[in-house]
Amino acid sequence: MASVDLNLVDEILRTRPPEPRHLLALLQEIQARFRYLPKEAMLAVAGYLDVPLARVFSVAGFYKALSLTPKGERLVTVCQGTACHLRGASGLVGALEKRLGIGLGQTSADGRYGLESVNCLGACALAPVATVDGTVHGHLSPSKALELV
Amino acid sequence: MGKDTKKVSGTIDGRETSVPRGSILLRAALDLGIGVPTLCHHPGLPPDGNCRLCSAETGGRLVASCLYPLRDDGFVVQTRSPLVVEARRFVLGLLLSRAPADGYLLGLAGEYGAKADPRLADGADGCVRCGRCLRACRAAGSEAIALVGRGWGRKVAGPFYEPPIDCVGCLACAQACPTGAIAFSEEPRSIWGRDFGLARCGSCGAILGTPGELARSGVEVTLCPSCRRREYSRAVASLPPAQS
Ligand code: SF4
Ligand code: FES
Ligand code: FES
Repeated sequence: MASVDLNLVDEILRTRPPEPRHLLALLQEIQARFRYLPKEAMLAVAGYLDVPLARVFSVAGFYKALSLTPKGERLVTVCQGTACHLRGASGLVGALEKRLGIGLGQTSADGRYGLESVNCLGACALAPVATVDGTVHGHLSPSKALELV
Repeated sequence: MGKDTKKVSGTIDGRETSVPRGSILLRAALDLGIGVPTLCHHPGLPPDGNCRLCSAETGGRLVASCLYPLRDDGFVVQTRSPLVVEARRFVLGLLLSRAPADGYLLGLAGEYGAKADPRLADGADGCVRCGRCLRACRAAGSEAIALVGRGWGRKVAGPFYEPPIDCVGCLACAQACPTGAIAFSEEPRSIWGRDFGLARCGSCGAILGTPGELARSGVEVTLCPSCRRREYSRAVASLPPAQS
């Protein structure tokens, strides 16, 4: 794993006073900048806020928006809600998994794409649906899904 | 906070009782001799109310009796209504799916007709996620372990799923665990995949604790309690007689 830019971690830490209540905010900021929570950064947060490392790790592992392993530069989510499921979401997942060489919840080896599933994006009329970095693409077929990556 | 000495009255399983306002339902029930099964509750630790085994019914809804304060006059509580029994059966099924060999849970499961869910067998690691170990660790003065992850995959672990660096090896967590799910050895001392040295009484050699545990307590001890008492009485006996 590439070494972690500790200066950047430090810079993030110093945007907030060293009070335990800023734990989640700091982790979110680190996630935003590194696209995951490097171990070194969690150690730094624990030291800076004087919060037990066990608590930092527990918070880090609890929120879906935080991740312990690097996320892809671009996040592809495939809806697996009922409507999308019935209209072939699993075909989209299968095609994307094959193209990217990863399973759901993983990141491609080149770090460019992360693949995840969600439950109903509220766009059932467009089923089956996938998003790329939050942009919704509807009426997908497996081949159209591959054009997204 | 001033102590509220006002009393409130009501019934638990039809039995009249009067308790100081704010009394915890579980306590009030036990004081009446009404047995309520508990799991995550430990009398010496802060309550958490996460296992729901102690559920009781009041005002048509379920409450966790280990957390629920009796505040209002005229409370009516049932600890074995059909609603409670059904909820308890469900909860027992989940707990049993985690700890299928636990004697206490098996006994209750027999009583309530609960069964482990075979689809959840992959999570049967003996730990019911009650968090008593975390609370014990905190109460002992550390916070070495935590519940990590979400949903069914949530589990007790050290930071980074590694042996916990802040652990001092006091074994408080293992003693607080209701299912005996935490592997440890008293002597030589080891727990959570870590080994610890032991400090011993300078006189008789009894175990005083791990060095980290003694440092955490902040008081310096070199003798075990009984040797300390002996030394003390010797010292007192050798004092010159008090002047009157
Ligand atoms: S043995 Fe370690 S983890 Fe367990 S209570 Fe003691 S310090 Fe905490
Ligand atoms: S099921 Fe996919 S958007 Fe609703
Ligand atoms: S004992 Fe009350 S919720 Fe667990």
